[in-house]
Formats: sequence, structure tokens, C-alpha cells
Amino acid sequence: MPVYHGMHKPSRVKKDDSMAKSLPASMQSNLPAIVMRRAPWIAAAFTAILPAGIIAPTAAAAEATHAAPTFRLPEKTDALLDRYCYRCHDEDEQKGDIRLDNLAGLEIPKRLDLLNRMQEQVYFQHMPPKRKKQPSEAERKAILAVISTELGIHHASTLEGKLQKPEFGNYVDHKKLFSGEYKDVPGFTYDRRWLISEYIFNAKFQRMLENRAQLGRRKNRIAVVGGSKIQNLSLANPFLLPNVSGVRYYANEDLTGGHLSSMLTNAQKTSEYITGDLVKRKKSQYLPAINEIMALEDGHHATLASRREFLENFVAKFCADLYGNKHESLLPTFTPVKLKEVKALAEGEKYKKAPIHVAQNMLKGLDGDRTVYQFLLDPHHESKSDDEFRKLCERTWFFFGDHERKIQARMTLLRDYMPEFREHAIKDNGRKIKPLVYAPLDDAEMAVVRASIIKHRRKGDRYTEVIEKCMTEWEQAFEQERIAAGPPSDKLLSDLVHQLCVQILERSPDTAEANEYLTLSKAYVTKLGNIKAIQKLIQTFILSSEFSYRQEFGTGAADEHGRRMLSPRDASYAIAYALTDQSPDEELLRAAESGRLKTRGDYKREVLRLLNKRDTNYLIDPVLADKNYPDNSTNTAIRKLRFFREFFGYPAALGVFKDEKRFGGDRLGNATSRLLNETDRIVEYILENDQSVFEELLTTEKFFVYHDGDNERMQAASDRIKRIYAHFKDLDWKNFKKEDLLEHRDLLKEVKMRSVDPDQLDARNRQGDTLKLFKKSMTTITARLDKGQKEAAPYDLYRGYGNDFMSGYNISKFFNIRMDNWDYATTQPAKVAHRKGLLTHPAWLIAHAKNTETDPIHRGKWVREKLLAGTIPDVPITVDAVIPEDHNKTLRDRLASATEVKSCWKCHEQMNPLGYAFESYDDFGRFRTEESLEYPDNLITKSPDKGTLLTDTRDIYKTLPVNSKGHLKGTGDETLDGDVADAVDLVERLAKSRRVRQSIIRHAFRYFMGRNEFLSDSKTMIDAEQAYVENGGSFDAVIVSLLTSDSFIYRKTIEN
Amino acid sequence: MNSRRNFLKTSALGAGAMALAPSFNQLFAASGSTGIPKRFIFIRKSSGIRPLEMALRDFSDKDKALDEKKQPLEVDLDKHELPKWLRGLDAHKENMTILQGLSAKMSENVHYSFSSVMGCFKSNRNTLSAIKRTTIDFELAKLFPSPFGHVELSFAGGRSGIVSGYSAPAPQTRNYCYADPDTARSELFKAVLNPDAVNSDNDMLSFLKTQEGLKVGGIRGHEKRRQETQIESIHAIRERNKKLITLAGSLARHLPELDPVHANGGANASTPEKQAAMTDVLIAALKAGLTNVVTYTIDDLGTPITGLPGNETDRVGIHPLGHDEAFGGVPAWKTREQIRISHVNQIKTIVEQLKQTPEGNGSMFDNTMIMYFPENGETHHGIGLESPSLIMAGNNCNLDIAGRYIRLPVLGVEGHKTLGNWYTTLLNAHGNPMKHYGDLDLEMARKKLDQTGAIHQFIS
Repeated sequence: MPVYHGMHKPSRVKKDDSMAKSLPASMQSNLPAIVMRRAPWIAAAFTAILPAGIIAPTAAAAEATHAAPTFRLPEKTDALLDRYCYRCHDEDEQKGDIRLDNLAGLEIPKRLDLLNRMQEQVYFQHMPPKRKKQPSEAERKAILAVISTELGIHHASTLEGKLQKPEFGNYVDHKKLFSGEYKDVPGFTYDRRWLISEYIFNAKFQRMLENRAQLGRRKNRIAVVGGSKIQNLSLANPFLLPNVSGVRYYANEDLTGGHLSSMLTNAQKTSEYITGDLVKRKKSQYLPAINEIMALEDGHHATLASRREFLENFVAKFCADLYGNKHESLLPTFTPVKLKEVKALAEGEKYKKAPIHVAQNMLKGLDGDRTVYQFLLDPHHESKSDDEFRKLCERTWFFFGDHERKIQARMTLLRDYMPEFREHAIKDNGRKIKPLVYAPLDDAEMAVVRASIIKHRRKGDRYTEVIEKCMTEWEQAFEQERIAAGPPSDKLLSDLVHQLCVQILERSPDTAEANEYLTLSKAYVTKLGNIKAIQKLIQTFILSSEFSYRQEFGTGAADEHGRRMLSPRDASYAIAYALTDQSPDEELLRAAESGRLKTRGDYKREVLRLLNKRDTNYLIDPVLADKNYPDNSTNTAIRKLRFFREFFGYPAALGVFKDEKRFGGDRLGNATSRLLNETDRIVEYILENDQSVFEELLTTEKFFVYHDGDNERMQAASDRIKRIYAHFKDLDWKNFKKEDLLEHRDLLKEVKMRSVDPDQLDARNRQGDTLKLFKKSMTTITARLDKGQKEAAPYDLYRGYGNDFMSGYNISKFFNIRMDNWDYATTQPAKVAHRKGLLTHPAWLIAHAKNTETDPIHRGKWVREKLLAGTIPDVPITVDAVIPEDHNKTLRDRLASATEVKSCWKCHEQMNPLGYAFESYDDFGRFRTEESLEYPDNLITKSPDKGTLLTDTRDIYKTLPVNSKGHLKGTGDETLDGDVADAVDLVERLAKSRRVRQSIIRHAFRYFMGRNEFLSDSKTMIDAEQAYVENGGSFDAVIVSLLTSDSFIYRKTIEN
Repeated sequence: MNSRRNFLKTSALGAGAMALAPSFNQLFAASGSTGIPKRFIFIRKSSGIRPLEMALRDFSDKDKALDEKKQPLEVDLDKHELPKWLRGLDAHKENMTILQGLSAKMSENVHYSFSSVMGCFKSNRNTLSAIKRTTIDFELAKLFPSPFGHVELSFAGGRSGIVSGYSAPAPQTRNYCYADPDTARSELFKAVLNPDAVNSDNDMLSFLKTQEGLKVGGIRGHEKRRQETQIESIHAIRERNKKLITLAGSLARHLPELDPVHANGGANASTPEKQAAMTDVLIAALKAGLTNVVTYTIDDLGTPITGLPGNETDRVGIHPLGHDEAFGGVPAWKTREQIRISHVNQIKTIVEQLKQTPEGNGSMFDNTMIMYFPENGETHHGIGLESPSLIMAGNNCNLDIAGRYIRLPVLGVEGHKTLGNWYTTLLNAHGNPMKHYGDLDLEMARKKLDQTGAIHQFIS
């Protein structure tokens, strides 16, 4: 009996041989025992902030809490709290509504909640406040020990869980991590399973179901992997990642009942899709055992389907031929349906008849269109009057046996729309409507059909009754045949088990496992029949935990530190999933199977190969795909690009609900989609160059603005517009008459102005006739080139329906570019005024803004946490953060009045001075020197709510000058820290900071490892930084360094 | 190790937990709630409700002027005559609220709103990634757990079977729904009608439990706990299935009978027949205690309509009717009115059936709210300026709105309320203290007008 199916059995190691022994002796002796026992990885994190052992429960504390049935603070601890805490949190004063001197008297849930809050405050050294007297390290340790013990007794501590979350990663001491003091501590990751991400979920189902997607890239269609769409199948993805800026995918999530419930239905739908669609479409190419098991039944179904189709099409003719003169006498008595009479309209009442296309759809929905059009195309019925034709149809439907209500509804349509139906049939002229030609089955089949009809037809039967009696007879006979054939052989079922295991779990079953599944399959077949049994077996494989978890276990002999290397198979998946969402490619699998994934060099070879691979196109953003946005792919390893997407968090710009009126133009959604896509392209461009990547991302002056990356195509588009302009600019085109266009026929035929065809001067669309459209186009063309512009932006010539040349032309508004005066850069990326790096890109600025205002706090918080490896405590629950309204103040001033008071500034000074620098940009990311005070009483000019392509719909309000001065503190470099003038000044300093480089590397570590760093990862961090520097700022070098580090390669067995 | 209770919690609140409401596997033996639950029925209609259609015909001149000018207004319904199409509910005026003036611009409008009208976000047509949050019905379902948690019924698109719905149990997750009465009945009462299907699920779950159990032996620490959680989850679903089977007797008492015309999707059933049958299933599910929250899309622009008075032998389309294009010689407005009357007939049936069913010291209706509203605002091509709604609520309703015609301040002025305020009110009044549900209105934001929170005057 196998204990592990595809899961590596961890070998036993000595109980105490865990993180503790990896640490320096001085640390081991002081490690917090209770924390080590429950979650060893936390122990290292604890040591990062506090001197080791600070929260280990003391014997006295343990005794005190265990001895008493109710909680009682040890006297010494009570004295400490009295010294440091009670002054603000006792009976007399309860700052923040917190009282600590009555802990013993609280009900258990309340006490545990308060103790958890205390534990965090003391552990993170948020309390006592910095300006107050601080406890010594030993005193802090004593307090934490008591708290930890009491929480441990009730299994109620929440700190360990928090410390595993990405947002708490920075609490590991940055200086220690990079100081070198811990670089000799051997790195490792614990044996683990890692719940699949939303992306891997999609990739797994796409692989399993052999789903191929295509996407546009610069007008070409290319095959892509990724995305959530599977044709004809809708799945609920239960593995969605949190919608936050920063590293989102961590290995600390468990499969819950919620996941399992969703997977139950996903499995059911997938099994039905496989058996009902895929195996039929792909025939023997896909899970051939299913077709083999179902061969007899499928054959029966095909025979039944062809007999039914024949009868439904030709039963009348067949019966007429079969019965000759007797046929009419066997038919039932025709009874026409009654139609509701049309009443005269009341006086003054208006009536607009629904148009013919509505009636056509109705007829189709009623399954009546085929009969009607077949008869209309039939020369035998050509001379029939409308009444005769209607009667013909009605009799046909009646004798066939259609439901009375259907006939009524069809006849109503024939009553009201007969001329239109005739006209449609004539117009179609056989293009779409094909006459139905009698096509008998083969002789043997025809004999069966004939015999059955003779057997079952009774006088007065409608045809459907005859057909159903025949079908029932045949179905029963086939069923008997299948029963006589017996269940599928063990061989076939074993083949099925094997094929499903490979298709779903990507491996062969071992012998014992195969036998178990065979037994299960036989039981399913007995109870459910073949098809349901196959479906159930598919569901069983999909619901295995192995499907939902990635596995990363060490194998082989442990080294002197108790570490074992990842098993080759697990390593192949770990590497593949580090860089992509897909399973290992063939080469990687071969390496694992052939023993070429066992050394650091092997890892390096494969990682480099995947990084350099360019033969796979990955869909970048499923949200953009949902919006049918083209150009949404990359051929670089998708997770490399995605790291920076998630780190910077700019994709969130799509989800910030914005007002088109304030934007100044329409189609904001298209413009934001393009903005996001072009940000991706900048990142891709920098990653492709792979030099000084972090510095470039922070300070690049190369931007894409309304450009698809193909300089030649953009130049050609501009040249076309310039040519039109040059041709007409000196002519009086504003006063052209339509005939005047004919004088320019050759040019117009060549340049193809939108909907302007000189050969169809009378044509028109909803925007106007040919002449009007020509003038509309010329208006925008002129605006693009009549102010000395050298090139013209290639958006369409006027705003209309249908596909744009490139959607999202209004992206220019984010960059303060006027549509009526845009000197377009055909060669991009190119410099854009007032922009430097991603933090000044509108996508990042919008993503870190509110609906109608900027957000200096969160912009500053982002810089503090992501670039400076800083920490900001959670907002205290007692704080109801509201920015006061004041019609005569800038947002910064209003914010200052709320956050720069003493009690708030402790935290806000970590954020606001950084965020203020971005006040040079509004909440759409537009550069500004004046802030618009958008209150009704400050309104100066009301603009129209709906604009044209060239106008701006923004209302004009009073303004105040923007103050973008800020302050940088925390780089650890006194030449960089200090006052900053604005965002550009800030990012230039940040890009020079070593701490910023290290901070990005820390986030990269978390992203690729799926966990927070420990001090034992110090060498991994230092090596990654060194690799970056030595390779000219190569992010590929960072990835190679991380994925060949001890932290990635080596695993340890986790203790209970 | 996760307890059963924790499993149910994560099942009920987890990302995909409720995505599967139509599936038998989605049943939860969530008997944790005590006392009499509150029930909510959301009835979505298409093609808008024009504010004037809801206006009272015998308003005083002063009230009429206020109403037409969209000024705040409140009158008692018992002193007025209801519009013709609402008169089926004359006997229940004391339970009725006509609510005018709510705006819905933060949701998708024009022809379709998809999930957004119940989630207050822009839906980017009907794309999954645009589903920004759990819809209001699922939020309420969390507060009042039941075996099915939530049930969605829909006639959208004239489909049949189990198809994708509009409610969202979580962000980026689409619910499934029952698209014809026969399917709804078979699935909701599966424990009675098809216990073999349940048993075959349990065979699979038993196997999985054993297989996963074998893996526990060789692992430790967090991985062991993970594995135990998985096993516990499987076990809990099995137990839930078992419980449903034991409930079969009770379910059988409430099993609704359907006319054979509804078999196999009911292609030949008329619209009034379909609606009546679906309403019967809805009521039966409530009475059987299978759910406390139902979302019922009574039509959308693709729902074929047949058998209405005046158009008895026609098939009519709601979309053409919205464009004033008519069928069978009957002016479009009259057919539209008949459609609304058919809806009111369903509401009347629900109200009267539940009033006849004792519960506590009163009836089931005392603890029920029915909300009937347009999915897309104030006209066929609504832009969300208004979302006229009809609410029927029993005597124990947590809101103080009954028996009144209420017109709230219009969009863009002080005191205006959005759909988000309305949903926040529902949540706050029933135990979810959420500060504000849904996206904010940008016009209100632009004008710096307060727009967050519940409509406090409604909370009793």
C-alpha cells in the first residue's frame, strides 16, 4: 500500500535537528522554545528583531499560568506593566480604549484578544511609544514570555501566522540580513507543499484539456499560453490571489473547504467536458481509453442519431413512399390552430411593428425557420399564395407533431411577416439557406427503419410519435447488446487509470495505486454505468490533493546540517513554476529523469535556458484579455515580468473607478488598458536589456505612449496622415461639395480615409455621409499637423464605431498631451516631459490613487515598504482616518491637518514626506503645478459633459500651487537622505541607494521562494546582490542566484 | 486541525464556496444559526422600470409636482391607489414600499448589468475579472446560513438546465443558477428525487478520504495539519450529504408538483406557466428551509415571452418592446405592462403563500423581504440615474419603510442615496456593520457630497 502518491516521503531526521541547530550557538541557547516547537521558521524571524530568547516563556511564568485555574499575572510582570504601560492604560486612563490592569478579570476571549494585541505591540517594539521610557531587552523578553505562554495554553496566538505573511517580511532586520554576520548559517526551506496559484490553476486545466489560445501581437495572431478562457467550459477559480500591491503568492495558504467545494463542481464540469466534447473532437488522440470503453455505446449513439436525423428530415416523404395510397388515410385529422385576433387600435394609439430581423430570430427560436425557408426555396411551392403557403407550413408542423403553442407562434409570425420572409428568401438567393436534398441511409439501415416504422405506425399517429416509438425500440435493443457485451475489461480500465493519471497528475501511477484505482473504477462502472464511471474517475483524480498542491520535498541523504536536496522531479517543477505557470517543459523533465538535475550547476543550466528561451508566448494579463485588449503577450518567462507587475502594483490602475468627465475625454477604459499594456512594454524593454534593471525601472526616461512597439508601422501610419494633410492643406476642403472628392479619387482610394470611398459618395453611417466624414477626418488631421508638428499620432481619423487602428488614443491625456497638438514620436520608447521611471508613470500613480484624489499616504507607504524595506504598523482600530474637507486648501494641507498631529505623526512621518513628492501628479497621473480645488463653489468654467475627439470635458476650478516638497529618510546613506524637491528628485536618489537595491532583492526572494526570509537566508541575499552588481545590474543574474541558492535547493524536514 | 465548524466557515465564506449553489455538493449543513432566520428574495427584471410607472396616479397636485421634479417625498400608500400593474398587491399595501430615487450609476447600465447591479461595480460587459466583490445576496446569505446558502433562479436568455448566473459568491467568481423550474426542482430536492447521485458522490469522497488519510502518516508539522484539514473537509462534505439524505423525509413534504409541460426544460410552457412553476419551487425551497436567500432573474432581454394576455398566441421579445416595437397588434407599452403584471402575480403568490405558513408567533412572510427592481435602471436604455424598486416586507422587517411611497433626493444633491447606500442599509440592519458596500458614485464624489453608509432613516 503506497503511503505517498507522487509525494516524496520525507526521511526521518533527529527531532531537534532543525533551524535551531543551524544558528550560531549564542542564538540557539536563547531561542524561544515554545515558538520553535510550534513553528520553527518563526523562530528565526523572532531573532531578527529582538535579542534571542526574548519571548521564551520562563519557568516562573509557565508555572504561574498553569498553576492557577484563572489567569494571573506574575508579580514581576505586573510590576513591569505598571512601570511601562499602566500610566496610559489603567483604570484612570485608557488611551486607545485599552486597559491593561484588569487582564485577570476579563473573560477569556477578551483577554486573549487583548494579549494578542499586546504581544504584537511589544514584539514589534511599537509600545511603549518611542518618546516614553523603554523596557530593557530582558524586561521585554519577560513580558513576552508571559503573554506567549498564556496564548499558547489556549492555542490562540496570532503572531506566528502574521509573521508568515508577505506584509510582515520586512520585520526581519535588514542590516543583519546583509551584514554578513549570518552568511555562514546554512540556508534551506522546509519540506512543503505549496497551494497552486490562480495562474497555475488556469495553466493546469489548459494543459489537461489541451486548450490552445491565440492572441494579437502587432497585428499578428500568435499562439499563447496562459489566461483563463477554455472554450465551452466555465470554471470557478478558487485559488485567487489577494488583490494587493507586492508579492501575492505565498506558500502559507492551505486548501480549505471553500477550495474543495469549488473543485467539486469544477471536477464535475471538467469530466463532462472531457467525455462529452474533447474525446469526441480529438478522437483517439486524447485519452484513447475513453473512446475504447465507449466504442460500443458511441457507435449505438451515432446510429441512433443518424436514424433520428433521417426521420426528422424525411419522415413524411419516407412514409408517403412506404405506404403509397394508404398514407393519407393513416394521418391524423388536421386541426388548425387558433390565433389571437388583432384588435383595432384605440384612437390616437400608435403602433410600431417589430422589424423583420426580430421576426426572423423569433421564427428561428421557434425552430420554424428551416421549414419556412425550405418551402420558399422549393419550386413546387413557388406559385402558392400566402394563405396556401401558410396552410402548407401548418399542416407540415401539425402532422409532424409539433406542439400546438409552437405552431401558433410560428403561424402568428407568418400572418404578420409573410412578405418579408419571402423577400428574405429571394435576397439570400441560396447563399445561406440551402435546399434540403433527400439523402437515404445505407440499405441495411433503411431496412431497419422501414421495419420499425411498419411495426409501430398506427392510424392517427403524428410523425413524432412514430419516431419516438422507433427510437425507444432501438435504444432498448442497443442496451441489451451492451449488457450482453459485459463491463469493460480490466485491461481497458487499467489503461484508463494510467492515461488519466498522466493527463491530470502528470505522472504514471505506481502499481499499488493503479490497482486501487482499478478497483474503484470497477465499482463505479457497476454502480453508474460506463460514462458516469469515467466521469467519476476523472473527478476523483482532479480532487486529489496532489492536483491542488505543488510539492517540494527533499530526498536522499541529509548533509551535516540536516538538509537534503530537492528531489529531481520536485526540482523540475519548482524551477518551472518559479519562472512560468506551466509544468516543466520536455527538456526540464528529461533532465530530471536522466539524473541531470542534481547539482547547483544543473539548476543553473536549466534556469538560464528557461530565461533565454523565446519560443513560448505568454499571455500577460487575463484582465486585459477579458477586455479583448490585443498586444497582451510576452515571450520572456512570464513570472519575471510578473514580479515587477506585482512589486510595483501598477495593474491595479485598471480597477480604480475613474470619472470620464474629470479625465477630460471618453473611452477612459480603453486608455487605461493601453496605459497598463505600455507599462508592461517598458518593463519588458528594460528586462530585455537586462542592465541596471532596478535603476532603469526607477529612472528610465524611455516611455511608450500610444505606440505598439513597431516603429516602422507607427512611422507608416504617421506618414499616411502627413500625406493626406499635405495633399489637402492648401485646398478649401472645408467648403468641398461631395463631387469635389472625385478630383482626389486616386489619393483617396490609396490612403483609405475611414469610410470615405470616392466611388460611394452617397454612402453614410451613423456619423454622417461620405462628405461629412471626410471633413471630420480632415479636422483632426489638420489639428495634428497645423502647429508645426513633425509627426502625427496614428489614431483614427474620427471617432466611430468598429475597430480602431489602435484603441486607447486618449492615453495621451494622462501625459498632458493635447489631442489637438500632439507632436507624436514615431520611434519609441522615447522621452516624455516630467516623467522619470515607473513611479512617475500614470499607471503606477493611478494604481496608488483614490477615485477622485491623489493618495500621498499610500504612495509614501509603498516607497517605505517596497524600496526602503521599512515597516509601518497597522492602522490602530481606534483611528477613523478621514481627511477633512476644506474648499480652500490643497489635499496636502488637508492631509497635514489630520495626520501631522503628534499621535499620528509617529507613523505618518514614515509615509507622508515620501508621498508628498508625488503631488506633482494628480490622481490620473497628470503632471501639474497647480491643484484644482474641485468643489462646486470653486467652479470657474463648466465644460460640456460630452466632448469631441479634440475637446476637453474637464470643468475648470480655482487652483492653488502644488507643493511637492518631501523628505527622504531611511536609505542609510546620508548623501541621499534629506529634503527632496519633487518625485523626480526622489526617484533619482532612490535609484542610487544600495538599500533600495537590497529591498527589491528581498522582495524578489519572497516572490521566487514563496515565503519570508530568515536570517539563515542571509547568504542567499548577499549572493543575489553581488550577482546583480557583478553582472551590471542584471535581474537574470539575481534570478539565477536565487534559484541556485541553498535556500532554494535544500530542504529540511519540518517537525511537529 | 480544522474543526467541522471551521470547515463550514471557510466553505461558506471562502473564495469559491458558494459558486456552486445549484450543485448538490454545495449544500451545507450549516445549522449554526439559531432562531428564525431572515429571508431575502431579489427579483431582477430587465428593460428598466420607468419612474412614472411606479408613481401613484392619485397624488395630490403638490406631491405630483414634487415627484415629477424628483424632489424628496414620502406618502402613505394606504391613502392612495396603486398603479394598475401593482394592483394585484392591493391587499398587501401595509407591507409594501415603493422606493424611488436610488441611483445605480456605479453599476453597468444600458441593456444589461450582469452581476454589477447587485455588486455596485462596472462589469465590463460580463467578464469574470470585472466581478469586483461578493454580490449583496451572497453577503446576506452569509448572515443567514442555510443548507444551500443561496439559490439563484433565472429565465435569462431563455435557457434551461444549470447555467451561469449573475450573482457572485466572491470576487471574480460567477454563480451558477437553475434556468428552468424542472431543473430547479430536481436539484434542490435531489435528496428526495435522486438519492443515488448523492451516494455516488459519497463513494468518491470515501475513496479520497482514505487516499488522503494514507498520506498523513509520513508527514509532520504544518504539512500534517494541512493534510488533516483536507481530510476533515472531505469528511464534512460527506456528512453534509448524509444529512441531506436524512432530511429527505422533510424535503418530501415540501416537494412541489410540476405540470408535465415543464419536463426537459419546458420548451412549450408559456411564460405565465414558467413563472408560476418557478415561483412554486422558490416557495417550496424557502418552506423546506433549504435557503434563506433567493435571487430570481425573472427576465432579461433575451427571455422569450409567450402567452401573455393580449398576446396569447404570440412570442414577443423584451428588447424590441423596449424600443417600442410591438407584436400581434398590441402596442408595446401594453405588452410591457402585462409583463410587469406577470411579475407582480409572482410576488403576490410568494407573499400570500408565506403569509399562510405559520412561523414563530406569525407567518414566514413576517421574516421575509422581497425586492423587485430593474437590473439596468430607469428605462430600457437606463444609465442608472434611478433604480425604481418595489419592496414587500413582513412585520418583523428590520427596516422601517413599510406602507410608504418614498422618493429620495435625486442624484447629485445633498442627501441622495445610491444603490450602495441601500445595500449597506440591508447589511447594517441585519448584522454586518460594513461601512459602505460597493463603489462610490463619481458625480457625488465630484461634488464632494457625502454618500457613504446606510440610509439611517430606514433602520428601525
